Amino acid sequence: MPRAPYVEPLVSVSRGSTRQNRTGSWKYIRPLYRDAVAPCNRACPAGVDIEGYMNLLREGRLDDALDLLLRENPMPAITGRVCHHPCEVGCNRREYDQAVTVHSVERALGDESLSRPHPAPPPRLHSERVAIVGAGPAGLACAYHLARLGYGVTVYDEAAEAGGLLRQGIPGYRLPREVLDRQIERIASMGVDIRTGVRLAGEKAQAELEGYDAVFYATGAHKGKPMRVEGEDGPGIVAGLEFLKAVNRGERPEIGRRVAIIGGGNTAMDCARTALRFGAEPVVVYRRTRDEMPAIPQEVDEALREGVEFVFLAAPSGFRWEDGRLVEMHVTRMELGEPDDSGRRRPVPIDDDGYTIPVDTVLTAIGEDTELEALPWSLPEKWGSIIVDDFGLAGAERVFAGGDVAGEERTVADALGSGKRAAMGIDRLFRGGDDGGRPAEVTDLRWGGDGQVSMSRWRGDDPVRRTNPTNQVVDIEGLQLAHFRREPSHQERHRHDAVDFSEVNLGIDMEQAIAEARRCFNCGVCNDCELCLILCPDVAIVRREGGGFEVDLDHCKGCGVCAEECPRGAIIMTREGL
Amino acid sequence: MKKVIVGNHAVSLGVKLARVEVVSAYPITPQTQVVEMLSEMCASGELAARFIKVESEHSAMAACCGASAAGTRTFTASSSQGLALMHEMLHWAGNGRHPVVMANINRAMGPGWNVWTDQNDSLSQRDTGWIQLYCETNQEVLDTTIQAFKLAEAVDLPVMVILDAFYLSHTSEPVEIPDQDLVDEFLPRREARLKLDTSDPRSFGSLVRPEDYMEMRWDQQQAMTTALRMYEEIDADWKILTGRRWGAIEPYRMDDAELVLVTSGTVTSTAREVIDQRREDGEMIGLLKVKMFRPFPSAAIRRALRGVDRVAVLDRNVSPGHSGIFAEEIRAALYDVPPDDRPWLHGYVLGLGGRDVTPATIEEIIERAWAVDTPPREDLWVGLKT
Amino acid sequence: MSQVMIKELVPRRELVDPGHLACPGCGAPLAMRLVLKELGEKTIVVLPACCWSIIAGPYPQSSLHVPLYHTAFETAAAVASGIRAALDVRGDTDTTVMAWAGDGGTFDIGLQALSGAAERNEDFLYVCYDNEAYMNTGIQRSSATPWGAWTTTTPRSQPQGTKKKDILSIMAAHRIPYAATACVSYPADLLEKVRKAKSIRGTRFLHILSPCPPGWKFSDEQSIEMGRKAVQNRIFPLMEVEDGIRWRFTMETDGDRVEPYIKAQGRFRHLTDEDMVRIQDEVNARWEYLERMVASSP
Repeated sequence: MPRAPYVEPLVSVSRGSTRQNRTGSWKYIRPLYRDAVAPCNRACPAGVDIEGYMNLLREGRLDDALDLLLRENPMPAITGRVCHHPCEVGCNRREYDQAVTVHSVERALGDESLSRPHPAPPPRLHSERVAIVGAGPAGLACAYHLARLGYGVTVYDEAAEAGGLLRQGIPGYRLPREVLDRQIERIASMGVDIRTGVRLAGEKAQAELEGYDAVFYATGAHKGKPMRVEGEDGPGIVAGLEFLKAVNRGERPEIGRRVAIIGGGNTAMDCARTALRFGAEPVVVYRRTRDEMPAIPQEVDEALREGVEFVFLAAPSGFRWEDGRLVEMHVTRMELGEPDDSGRRRPVPIDDDGYTIPVDTVLTAIGEDTELEALPWSLPEKWGSIIVDDFGLAGAERVFAGGDVAGEERTVADALGSGKRAAMGIDRLFRGGDDGGRPAEVTDLRWGGDGQVSMSRWRGDDPVRRTNPTNQVVDIEGLQLAHFRREPSHQERHRHDAVDFSEVNLGIDMEQAIAEARRCFNCGVCNDCELCLILCPDVAIVRREGGGFEVDLDHCKGCGVCAEECPRGAIIMTREGL
Repeated sequence: MKKVIVGNHAVSLGVKLARVEVVSAYPITPQTQVVEMLSEMCASGELAARFIKVESEHSAMAACCGASAAGTRTFTASSSQGLALMHEMLHWAGNGRHPVVMANINRAMGPGWNVWTDQNDSLSQRDTGWIQLYCETNQEVLDTTIQAFKLAEAVDLPVMVILDAFYLSHTSEPVEIPDQDLVDEFLPRREARLKLDTSDPRSFGSLVRPEDYMEMRWDQQQAMTTALRMYEEIDADWKILTGRRWGAIEPYRMDDAELVLVTSGTVTSTAREVIDQRREDGEMIGLLKVKMFRPFPSAAIRRALRGVDRVAVLDRNVSPGHSGIFAEEIRAALYDVPPDDRPWLHGYVLGLGGRDVTPATIEEIIERAWAVDTPPREDLWVGLKT
Repeated sequence: MSQVMIKELVPRRELVDPGHLACPGCGAPLAMRLVLKELGEKTIVVLPACCWSIIAGPYPQSSLHVPLYHTAFETAAAVASGIRAALDVRGDTDTTVMAWAGDGGTFDIGLQALSGAAERNEDFLYVCYDNEAYMNTGIQRSSATPWGAWTTTTPRSQPQGTKKKDILSIMAAHRIPYAATACVSYPADLLEKVRKAKSIRGTRFLHILSPCPPGWKFSDEQSIEMGRKAVQNRIFPLMEVEDGIRWRFTMETDGDRVEPYIKAQGRFRHLTDEDMVRIQDEVNARWEYLERMVASSP
């Protein structure tokens, strides 16, 4: 038999790949990429996709980061300055080294947006017109979102200038007027008609508002709460907010040298530091301790640094006047008892004589009440707040309410969130039938189910690619911290050369903001770090066109290394076949 | 050019003329001169090869496998214990089909230590997949070394060139050294059919399952069969170039021989003298030299010995518990000869551990072979002290 | 940048194919993937008997996109020497020859050939991926098995009674230009060492700790974590030695207690509290020894 010509020896030499082996059949569990919710997003009362814009900014996609921020928050230059940033309390990184300084990044982005020309107004898509009463943060937010959703919006405010408490309550050294003006201007440039100096009350209001298809009430809370101490209406005792309003109107209210400020919130800090700027010697009298103060900690730090004195565990119990002039405030000593509903320990009076503090002026800053008497319609209310549903709808048809007047937490961010929620409620009112698959349940709109609503979710066009999104929040246990390195946060610079009304906090620059964004863990959301792909022993993870990854199920053996090692908890293992 | 050289240097010169590219070796008496001379040649640049001075024979053969798998002409030399240590890697070269060439200086196995010649070291490696070529003279050593590369690379099998310790390795004989040009024409640079190549990345030697293994052994067997024919062709070519050929077997004065001695290695030369003498005296006696032990030239041996009355196989080796190894093999080869034509086969074990095989030893064997009148049951040991 | 964007440090090329036959969670294919990413296509791999003999795939398959030569257990360094010689003699000095052996093939049966090659300063990279026992044959002890470990030849009644061989010191003692340890749990460190090794001529030795879920008895997904623990608790310090005399740690470690690592693995299940102290003391002592080596390095 003739032999074939000799080509090569028949030896064990490969002619193909192991790829033909379906080693994926070994597995009984399989990885699933699923993007979850970062705790900062859930914690943000304005419903900002913080993790999302950090993710974009980390990649240097500044425009995209700005777009994402601005779709949820109409005034980042303002919240970046004055928000109490609960996001940073929620931040998982806080437990690792230091929280990401979200507010400073937000401020840098906000300032960046204001440094650019205002964008063209969004197209007017719908015929409906909405009236908004109150040009504070809630009203402006609702107006902004409605305008972007394509509605005609008119905002009324009785004050000479728009801004509500942002303008009237917050001193310029914290929120410079030009930032506020430019930010409001930007909202107005969306096509929002802002009419100031118009007080809408009673029949006049009804007549004016008849012509609109919906109304949003966001008239705020302006009336200082009483201390319930004898003589509190006497001379020298002033509501702190009234004092600030006067200052912010450009007046120079009469105060003495020794000024006691009652309260521990931001208004108290603003009063104290403003008084200081008028040459007074302010002392803050607070019935609990520093730890329980509701004011933003940095504000307290600044007040202390500037020389404001603090008296803790003391509550006013009487005043003394000489010749019609306030000279002395008597205080009761307090101690901390059991925690109250807010989780803070309740102050309990100590049964002794207390002591006196020499004072010339007392500024009260223990909170404000709403004034519902001026409402044109009778709306259901409870404890001085309008009762609204999840979308801000108040009892009457087509009437919505939000912000302080609707019982929101008394913060700018909460006001912004409630304005956004009402905008969605109004949009739903008009377009409920053809909502294009918008989430019906408000919990689906809320970050983590109980956070603030997301406009991305409402519009259904999240610009951050999200794979199998879930509303589950990833806590620190869900992260793989081994892949991070400790690095201190980027702290804002403060101006300490003089104590005056120009801005004290100078923020961080964009370069620092990007560096800070890189500190973000991107909890729960794949940021294409590729660690899963790099560490897969089975080479069974492949890049997907346009970002993200796919599991090669023919070859994944289900070891779970990817899920275990994902730094941000964006992969879970699921039972095979489910 | 003719030179008087020892067998070990005949090997080295053959390696040089073959333009070997990688040498990897470990010293052992009586092989040392081979590697010493090669070291000199590599150091001087006379031979453009890399010489890997490994730490053991096992590594020597391992390195040869690697170098050969990477496509180069590769050589080593060893002996006895060293060869035994290589055993595992001899299989690797054999089954891996690496055309490595090795010179093995036949030396007895210990203990006790014995540096003198016998064939048990190489014959123990019978089944490792190596071609084995036994040499009788230093000229044959040199020629065979060059031929071995040609043969190895033609069939992708390793080749062992074997020479007796001291009788060849350290004994000077005149040797005709061929010109380099002539050898270059005979043996061009190696172009491997399969090799480790980053432009065609393949895996060599991975797990082979029962459903594939046998075919590889069959292919190896076919290559051995081819090697038998191929050696004759190569040998013929060599003759055209040099006037010399050696043959897988060499029948010597076998015309009408009634008794044929079968030998390998240097015993052959001693036997030639005795036979020449006896033929002068009219005795019908001849000689068959077996050069190629693997592949075993059974058919040629059968043709040569068919019809001969008596065959005496001289084995400088023994398979303990059985017989001399050449005798075994030849006995098996002759089984195919019809009984009427089948010679009586006498096996003689002799010269182990370097014991002298003199003309008198051969004479004794011849006498004993003539004397018996029935086929012997077992081998006879020649030269045992009583 | 606190979050290391590791993808920027890892070459994208993929020279290992899926469908290889490693157990789920095995560190060995990961080690190979990472090393080959750095070495690139111009690499020839020598593979003595080890888990990778199986992982590489049966005839006629290969899981690698580089040439691969399977060889006998004890011969990796010798075969690599031969291949290197062949490449050199044919003028190919670019291609990296890499011997890739397990701990058995390195610490035990292959040590002679490795020592020989290292002494000759053969120009190749020798990688030992160490899973601390003969895993491919079914978890028998090697001289890389740590003290106290159970294996199928060191039963719980008489577990491994000797200390793991100090292969790094052995290789350093050969005065080769580069010897280092690495772990799959620290890809950036590993890649950096491969990059460095690739740039050096002569014998380069890389000892990679490769956690083995079935052999160490931990669940598959814990592979990376196990290596991380071993590094952080200083059982397996990441370091490098240049020319046998310049010792350097390449990673800060916290000096975590060994206990969580030991307790996380079934192979140590039988150990007592006293055993734990003993292991800790041993780790501390070796760390101090290494610190002295580092401190006294020129």
